[in-house]
Amino acid sequence: MNNPISSAFWAMVHRDLLAQWRDKGEFIFRVVMLPLILIITYGYVLPEIGLVPREFPTHMFAGMIGMSILITGIHGTAIPFTMDFNNMHEIEDRLQAPVPANLVAYAKMLVGIIEAFIGGLLVLPFSAFFMGSRVELALQGDRIVYLVPVLILIAIASATLGLLVGTIVKPMQIAAMFPGFLMPMVFSGAIFFTWKSLTAVPFFQKIILINPLVYANEALRFALTPQIDSMPIACSAGGLIISSLIMGYFGFKRFHYMCVNR
Amino acid sequence: MSAQTENILEVRNLKKTFTMKSGHKVEAVKGISFSVRRGEIFGFLGPNGAGKSTTISMLTTQLAANDGEILIDGIDARRDPVAARAKIGVVAQHNNMDRSLTARENLLFHAKYFGMDEAAAEKKADEYLEKFGLAEWQNDYVSSFSGGMAQRLKIARAMMHTPSILFLDEPTTGLDPNYREILWEQMLELNKQGTTIFLTTHYMEEPERFCENIAIVNHGELKALGTSSQLKALIPSKNILTLKLDSLNEDDARAAAALKDVQQAKIQNGTLQLYLNTKQPDFDGIIRWTEDRHKTLQNISLSTSTLDDVFLYLTGSAMNAPEK
Repeated sequence: MNNPISSAFWAMVHRDLLAQWRDKGEFIFRVVMLPLILIITYGYVLPEIGLVPREFPTHMFAGMIGMSILITGIHGTAIPFTMDFNNMHEIEDRLQAPVPANLVAYAKMLVGIIEAFIGGLLVLPFSAFFMGSRVELALQGDRIVYLVPVLILIAIASATLGLLVGTIVKPMQIAAMFPGFLMPMVFSGAIFFTWKSLTAVPFFQKIILINPLVYANEALRFALTPQIDSMPIACSAGGLIISSLIMGYFGFKRFHYMCVNR
Repeated sequence: MSAQTENILEVRNLKKTFTMKSGHKVEAVKGISFSVRRGEIFGFLGPNGAGKSTTISMLTTQLAANDGEILIDGIDARRDPVAARAKIGVVAQHNNMDRSLTARENLLFHAKYFGMDEAAAEKKADEYLEKFGLAEWQNDYVSSFSGGMAQRLKIARAMMHTPSILFLDEPTTGLDPNYREILWEQMLELNKQGTTIFLTTHYMEEPERFCENIAIVNHGELKALGTSSQLKALIPSKNILTLKLDSLNEDDARAAAALKDVQQAKIQNGTLQLYLNTKQPDFDGIIRWTEDRHKTLQNISLSTSTLDDVFLYLTGSAMNAPEK
């Protein structure tokens, strides 16, 4: 016999993936453009003209992957929630289903997580093409085992942040999200520098600890480029877990509010 | 299993207050109570801003009530909204169809959300697409549908899981009369098959034609409840003479009440309503009366009472009057 909760959950996931598949051109464009331009500029042009050291691409490689996963996951969860609750109302049919409302959020977050992984994967060929031999991956057995759990943690953090943002931001505020939220997150997210290298600017080193992208990139750096000094994995993984719990708590609170105040 | 109750919906002392950004509190629903019998078409009427949509949102678990009780098929919807949702179908006023899906997919995904097995869902989708005249467009995206087609699909979708009660929030608003008739034919057919229909509308002729019981709400309060004829009996007379004068005051109403054949006179919605105990009023006498009072008569009309008149009588404003 069908378990109604699992059947509803997978139907919701299926629906979201189908909708996304039908809009795959937009998805690829959205996911690829920001990392692509950053990879070309910082990973190819600047090292080529000598403005940054030639090993700079190795520094930023983990950051590119982390940023792509986090931003794609946030976008994949936040924008549908914002549009659904405020404009399109398509989510209402799912919220009328005889299952706990949280299930709708879980399904959307899972799709955000899947999109986040795809976002991370899409960046790999561009990184290889433009940064190629300049990236020195020093994969070590004892570190690489952290890679999968770290990727999962980053994807979960992206989905919880997406849930929170999506239930707070109104459609007319989306335009402000890029300069007001995503860009500060990207540029303070330890993509172009390591967290430890910020000891020279201690206030900045402390303040960016509120940015989950810092933990994501430092954790990836730990797993992929161990030759670069990164935050201890316990701290970066702990940061990802704590930020996911905080964002998840407030995100679900907001989600509940939106569900019973439609 | 519990025995079926006579009432599919029971609402007791339902309240909702919104707090505005300024801190000002707005009592949208002020403790209304009513019940809906199993299998009936129930009309829930009121002008814009009366509290209709707020009430329907609470009944369908989309909005948290501040107080009161909602029993849907015996289930306390405030305590157990998940179980209550299995019993209801909701057709929202706005377009909430999944635009990235085809018409058929909209029905099939809805069925899956409600735990229906695939074969049953496919069969029912075929049946409803045919019944609602959408079979030809079943593989088209809903984003390309006209308002009438989307409305029919919304009803078909809400019916997919065979709800015990179907909530329709102004289902015919914005549709041309032809489409409204088609939609009503389909809704009556569903009702014949046993679906209880809870309808909100501001087209007064619809509940008059189709609803067994009608509730009239205004300013968040239940003003009256009964059959169309019971509601019409609330006003003093079936025959109403409406006078539009260049100016009006309470003295005019008091003086008009003393005229021959006038049972009661009221100023309503900027007009003088005379409730008559005759079908053939003394027009000459009334015109002379306006002249004696130095009024210019701009319009005069004689009508038989409708639900609109009941509404006007009970609330003092017309059903479709602009919101103040």
